[in-house]
Amino acid sequence: MSLSESRHLAQRLLTYEAVGETSEPAEYAAFRVCERLRQPLITLAGVAGFRSLLSRALTLARAEAPSLSAVQVAADGSLKGLDALASQTDKKQARDGGAILIAQLIGLLLTFIGEGLTLRLVQDVWPEAAFNGRVSEKEGKA
Amino acid sequence: MSAADKVKINKLPTGVPGFDEILGGGLPEFSFNIIAGAPGSGKTTLAHQIAFANATPERPALYFTILGEPAIKMLRYQQQYTFFDQAKLNNAVRFINLSQVVLEKDLDAVLEEITKEVEKASPGIVVVDSFRTVVRKAVGGATEVELQAFIQRLALLLTSWQATTFLVGEYVEGEIRDNPVFTVSDGLFWLYQAAERNSVVRKLQIVKQRGQASVPGLHTFRITHAGLQAFSRTLGLAGLVRKIPSTRRLSIGIPELDKMLGGGIPEGDSVLVAGASGTGKSVLATQFIAEGIRQGDPGIVVVFEERPQEYAERAGSFGLDLKTPRKEKKLEILYLRPLDLSVDETMHEILDAVREIGAKRLVIDSLAGFEMALAPGFRADFRESLYRMITALTGVGVTILSTVEVNESFTEFPFSTYSISFLTDDIIRLRYVCIEGQLRKIMVVIKMRGGNHSKDVREYEITSKGVVIMGDRLTDYQGLITGIPVHLNRSGNHEERLHKPKAKTKSRK
Repeated sequence: MSLSESRHLAQRLLTYEAVGETSEPAEYAAFRVCERLRQPLITLAGVAGFRSLLSRALTLARAEAPSLSAVQVAADGSLKGLDALASQTDKKQARDGGAILIAQLIGLLLTFIGEGLTLRLVQDVWPEAAFNGRVSEKEGKA
Repeated sequence: MSAADKVKINKLPTGVPGFDEILGGGLPEFSFNIIAGAPGSGKTTLAHQIAFANATPERPALYFTILGEPAIKMLRYQQQYTFFDQAKLNNAVRFINLSQVVLEKDLDAVLEEITKEVEKASPGIVVVDSFRTVVRKAVGGATEVELQAFIQRLALLLTSWQATTFLVGEYVEGEIRDNPVFTVSDGLFWLYQAAERNSVVRKLQIVKQRGQASVPGLHTFRITHAGLQAFSRTLGLAGLVRKIPSTRRLSIGIPELDKMLGGGIPEGDSVLVAGASGTGKSVLATQFIAEGIRQGDPGIVVVFEERPQEYAERAGSFGLDLKTPRKEKKLEILYLRPLDLSVDETMHEILDAVREIGAKRLVIDSLAGFEMALAPGFRADFRESLYRMITALTGVGVTILSTVEVNESFTEFPFSTYSISFLTDDIIRLRYVCIEGQLRKIMVVIKMRGGNHSKDVREYEITSKGVVIMGDRLTDYQGLITGIPVHLNRSGNHEERLHKPKAKTKSRK
């Protein structure tokens, strides 16, 4: 999966979370994606493992989206600084920053465990979403 | 109690080729096992292989990781193995990280967490990797009694929930004594890895196994892209039914030699052809295998010093067509890559080929090449393993001809430089001899366990038709086997004189 594809996948996750059943504004979608990925990744890698990954993703994302400097990774692996991000930037910047963060997190997973396992993890978290196209396509080829 | 009244212990496949046989048929279901060994010995890979071989969505494998290799990295590396089925991840095989519980809480909390997951998933397989970490943590904060109680409760829980369990740990052998983990466990599988000279030797041992008999001793194994592959010391031959000895004689393809052997080689014998370099051992062996194919006996040739294509072409130069039977799967020429083989691994490769084509004849050319192809650490096991293979194969009717190079001596007549003569039923000795100012060749049948044989010493040549025995026995010479015979009808040391450098005679002027 190329960089653009991982960004595309991140964007699809964000879109899915943005239009989901939530009262939160769309610019918080990245936080919801992180939150939904947090538990299965903690189960797999532990809190420390997930925190390390997310911290690295955040560092990489900040290089592209400085507005993310207000965001931090808490001890339990959750993101904090949500309100600060929303207040410091406009909605588009916040959404873009979130997309970059998720793309970096997906990119790290792709780097470490590969496309197959990453897509499977995503599929497990959003079984109802339409990401199954790609996973199913791969399974069909196997 | 009759056999029918006894509980039947199901055996689970390990997914490791060769390991089920070592275990006596597979892993006893619901057993509580330890996989022990030093770092890098293959413990985690073995545990993964077992998990992937048995896990289903209905009876998944729960893989608890604790402070060992980070789970992300473990997945990164383990997915490189062919047994790693990505489709099973988070479905049939579930990884659960317990590091934090172990770090922050006590043994009760660890047990509670495992219990919660086990009751939720109803797993068929449970792995705790590394359990050593749990024990280390416990030793720091709990008494020995508490630790033992924890292990017993864990074993009770997992057995009650019908899980087959594997605790993976980095242990050293001295820890077996007084360690409650080993006391409670039903099975203890120990993996070893040792560097010997330039080679790495991997071995495994079933130190303990309740409920069924395993194959005792150390078994070699290899880790490849497919994971572990084990090679049982019994070479998979333990269950073979010995064949009633045959009275059939097999032609070696050299009519005069057949006569010397009393009509050919008794079927199921092990024959050793010994001689110096260039005496025609390989040619004779090729004639034996070619004659077998001509008579409908499929054959295997194991070579170490030349590739199959070269071997077949060389046979062609003696008028022996090995290419056609190779194509027809009546002949397999195995070239075993040199220098890092284990004996049992090599034996398994030979045995697989024997089974595959139903071979009746086997040539090993040569034993010296075979030994040299082994990793240095395995050479000590060579004779023992060779003995096991020869005994088992000849027992089921395969006739084996091995060649061995001996140093030509003009003071001795050794059968072999190895102490392997005892492995053979029959010995044919080839040697050089000085006759009439020429380096000629003689052969003699030294031994035939199955019966009488010719005592003649016969001269032979290697012609375009292979080994051909010339004329009758050499009756005019004494001391042929010394290599420097004396012609009986000539005076004194005629032969010696012939071959001694002539003293320079100074001309008297």
